[in-house]
Amino acid sequence: MNEQQVTLRVEDVTKRYGGFTAVEDLSFNVRAGKVFGFLGPNGAGKTTTIRMIVGITAPDEGRIELFGQRISPETQDKIGYLPEERGLYKKMKIFEQLRYFAALKGVSQKLADERIDFWLERMNLSDWKKKKTTDLSKGMSQKIQFISTVLHDPDLLILDEPFSGLDPVNVEFMIEAVAELKAQHKTIIFSTHLMETAERLCDDIILINKSRKVIGGSLREVKQSFGKNLIALRSEGGGAVLEDRSLIAKITEHADEREIELAANADAQILLKKLIDNGATISKFEQVEPSLNDIFIEKVKGI
Amino acid sequence: MKKFLAVVKHEYKKIVLKWSFLLVTLLFPVLSAAFAVVPALLFSIKSEPTRIALVDETKRIAPRIRENLALEKTPSEEKQPTAEELVKNSTATSPDEQMKRAAEQFGATFNVVEYDAAAKSLDQIKRELTGKIIGKELDAYLIVPSDYEAENAKFEFFSRKAGDYVANSQLERAINGAVRSQRLADANISEDRLKDLSRNVDFTKTAISEKGDEKNTEGVFIASFVISMMLYITLMIYGQQIMSAVVEEKETRIAEILFSSAKPFELMMGKLVGVGLAGLTQLAIWITSALLLVGVGLANLSAAGVNISVPDITPLTVVYFFIFFLLGFFIYATIYALIGSMVTTVQEGGQFALLPIMFLVAGFIISTNIVRDPNSSLAFWASIAPFLAPITMPVRILAETPPFWQIALSILLNGATIGFLVWLAARVYRVGMLMYGKRATIPEVFKWIRQK
Repeated sequence: MNEQQVTLRVEDVTKRYGGFTAVEDLSFNVRAGKVFGFLGPNGAGKTTTIRMIVGITAPDEGRIELFGQRISPETQDKIGYLPEERGLYKKMKIFEQLRYFAALKGVSQKLADERIDFWLERMNLSDWKKKKTTDLSKGMSQKIQFISTVLHDPDLLILDEPFSGLDPVNVEFMIEAVAELKAQHKTIIFSTHLMETAERLCDDIILINKSRKVIGGSLREVKQSFGKNLIALRSEGGGAVLEDRSLIAKITEHADEREIELAANADAQILLKKLIDNGATISKFEQVEPSLNDIFIEKVKGI
Repeated sequence: MKKFLAVVKHEYKKIVLKWSFLLVTLLFPVLSAAFAVVPALLFSIKSEPTRIALVDETKRIAPRIRENLALEKTPSEEKQPTAEELVKNSTATSPDEQMKRAAEQFGATFNVVEYDAAAKSLDQIKRELTGKIIGKELDAYLIVPSDYEAENAKFEFFSRKAGDYVANSQLERAINGAVRSQRLADANISEDRLKDLSRNVDFTKTAISEKGDEKNTEGVFIASFVISMMLYITLMIYGQQIMSAVVEEKETRIAEILFSSAKPFELMMGKLVGVGLAGLTQLAIWITSALLLVGVGLANLSAAGVNISVPDITPLTVVYFFIFFLLGFFIYATIYALIGSMVTTVQEGGQFALLPIMFLVAGFIISTNIVRDPNSSLAFWASIAPFLAPITMPVRILAETPPFWQIALSILLNGATIGFLVWLAARVYRVGMLMYGKRATIPEVFKWIRQK
């Protein structure tokens, strides 16, 4: 990873609440312009970590840097944060609250008004500009909350469970918006426990459980580090090789293919070579990547 | 600083641009006027005239009583009281005096019913008249003893409405007057001389301040009542406004977004200052309109030949008033903000809010005492004590401006209290606002305060 490309650097961060350690010795980097998946079960320490990044709380140990700067009121203005549990002022008009949230991020009223109009248009909510929150449906207010996090044109966007409670149409809408921001070279941290969405959107991931990092890196690296000992094979012949216990730990027969789990220290390339040498006709030989979901379940259960 | 100002602007507009603000601003003067006038109006509702029979063997006292009763009721029969008189009436210094005046002005009326008691025994008379009362032909009767001059002479009064103290005191005065006149007549003093002797004195009350200035006590009484009421109401309304705003941000989890945008201390102070300015706006409107009204009213009255002196309200008094409003506002608003960040709903906060309300009520009650005796030790201690001073000191300044060192001490003590409360509230606020789901216990709050 190139140094200049790092937006956020978290180094050896620990946070305790009384006797309880919420985050322990956590380190990771978020690359500029990438979508970073922050994964973990509920209570793993995701929200605590995010609160330290946005400057709500400070770490007890370790350091956090955004664009090479320690977290401070200035770095707060570069972050757009959409918390998991979020709300709007009930009795205030939509554009008034959006203006207020923008002002708190240091945006002038004129600029804020332009952006409010742009985003309301973009989200098909222009007609609701002068309505109050109580008049909105749940999906609409979530879109408004999303708008409030991007009004100050932040370089880093932190979305904590952004799709919870959204219907599929609105989920697509939000995914498009995220993709658009990514195209503008914004960095996006995306916290979720929905592995399918993470798999679809993220370039890099980190998985934390019980306050500690379990695994991290680019999506590809993570999957490969998991998937290298599982092979899907469709072949004819080469039967003797498949009996070799030094190569193969386990074979699961499927309708027209076999799932082969390699023995420890065995190499897939050697298996392939031996099969060919033994005259097997191979129509499929694939190193299978486990889904993020599989990794998640195994890692979280295994610890 | 920029963000602090954004919060101030937001909180200020949120209150001032609401209908309820306009409503309360307009309603308060109307309500206080009503408080001043309604009691007087109630007295003006005349009770039915009391039909009374006078039994007097000597035939000397009864005519005089009748004459006195007729004199007393003239004012109400001659003219209806005007609105100005109603207001003037309600400015009496004590409730007792207020009552007496009302009685004079709207007095109960007596119709003397003829009754021939000749050649009847006392028992027979009583039986007959009591019968008439039961038969609703009569409301009351008075038996004048024949030995009215004796020391132990007893005037017996029987009435269906013995609780009507207005009528009773009127009757009593009439009787006393009648007997006194008769005694003087018995001592050979002519009727003209008698009238001359029994003329009432002209009693005007003027209080003298320590500096030797003359002051009108009635004006001070009503002005300090209005002012302590104003302070009490605004401190309570704005305090609770702060609390519900804080609870809303906590309940809706907006706090999380706010805390990721600005420092909790900026947010809390911005809220206090914004709401405080809204309160100040309202008070400024009230005071300006009150001064204008009093000014116009006085001009009209003196044009009509009536002279009422008002307490001299100097610009310095007004400045003091605003200073103590601000001290009170920050004390109570901070307490309410602290409560708001501890609880999860407004209803829950309402239970805790009883504490600050008790302090406010105490200040209000003590200030009625201070008007009567602004130099007592109670007045001294209450007007420098934290929590109480914001209501009691302005009242004391109005009643009898204390030495400057006392005012300065009061400002200092209450300022220090604010410093402490803000420190405390800020520490509770920054943690409490992110604690969802359940109300904080007191040990938890202490833990938050110590947390770095």
